[in-house]
Amino acid sequence: MESKEKNLAEIRKLLKELLVENLSLEDIRPEDIKDDEVLFGDGLGLDSLDAVEIVVLLQRNFGLEVKDMKQGREIFYSVDTLARYIYVNKKTT
Amino acid sequence: MQTGSRADKTGPRKRGNRTGFWFFEMFIRISGLRGAYGFLYFVCLYYLIFDRHAVSSALPYINRRFPDSGMLTRNFHAYRLFISQGRQLVDRLAAIVSKKQLFDIKLNGYDKLMALFQKSDKGVILLTSHFGNWQIALTSLNKLGKRVYLLMREEENPAVKESLNVGNEKGDIRIISPEQAFGGVIEIMNVLKKGHVVSIMGDRNYGAKAFKIDFLGEKAFFPFSAFAIAAAAECPVVILIAAKDSAYSYTVDVTNILVPCCKSSGKRNEQLIPWVQEYANILEKYIQKYPYQCFLFHDIWKN
Repeated sequence: MESKEKNLAEIRKLLKELLVENLSLEDIRPEDIKDDEVLFGDGLGLDSLDAVEIVVLLQRNFGLEVKDMKQGREIFYSVDTLARYIYVNKKTT
Repeated sequence: MQTGSRADKTGPRKRGNRTGFWFFEMFIRISGLRGAYGFLYFVCLYYLIFDRHAVSSALPYINRRFPDSGMLTRNFHAYRLFISQGRQLVDRLAAIVSKKQLFDIKLNGYDKLMALFQKSDKGVILLTSHFGNWQIALTSLNKLGKRVYLLMREEENPAVKESLNVGNEKGDIRIISPEQAFGGVIEIMNVLKKGHVVSIMGDRNYGAKAFKIDFLGEKAFFPFSAFAIAAAAECPVVILIAAKDSAYSYTVDVTNILVPCCKSSGKRNEQLIPWVQEYANILEKYIQKYPYQCFLFHDIWKN
């Protein structure tokens, strides 16, 4: 259990770094992003083109695909939901 | 005149009704294409005189393409534009009514496109414009043997939808709605990965992010989402232009292929500006040659 939480924390940290790096988030540092902050819309304010980058980021860094829109909506909700999806499904890191 | 097939929800009112389409269908059946074209002169005159919103929608383009025109000449250009668009809609209706290949479609760049598919398993983005007849152009792509996905909103005018088969295209054509979550990009990324073709309009932003690009002598707002998706998916952007040459012939050009890419550092989106500008230059070249086949009935020069 402790190991799972530790892994999730590592994935969240990596994800935040990747998001800041790949989405050109200006004036935002990885540590500014909260684990449960809504990524799209009112939260971090990401848009559909950022979703494209997240799809690519998941493929390149974790070998994961987002199969459909419904799944995407659940996974892309926050850094925490993304991290849990990666933790459960990751093939390579 | 605008069918609104890919139109903005908040855009101009819809034109065209079942009776109108019935009349055109009758003209096509009785007197062929030329009879229907003749009827268009009267219909377009009605729009020119009584639908000033239609005329004012065309003016931003007319003012840039024909900058030295006076008021009367601008109206004349609007009339010719309406007739030209009407002819292309009649062509589409005729193709549906006759249920056979009515038009001689010359496809420039077929070999180049096939070579592209043979070189890579990934799909391509087909960048279309409010120019010519992209619907007719798509029929010419059947021989590629590829599934084509159109990124488009559902047609809101039922008469247009039924009569012109909008959203119900023949062949291996599917629709991706931009109104779903994330603007449909997850589905787009997935189908590109499977090697399919995704068709996206490149010259109107419909509220999406856009760059200021030089176009017809001024800065216009061009969306860059197609280029951003292509750069992320590492697939090419094929610019599709379909121009009507004569009553029964079209030339479809797919020779212009762009391969946008972004460095991982710096402002990624802004790195796409040269490709968007190149697309605008290609479109402008066609507009110079076929000034009455550009159906940009929207002020893209104003944000």
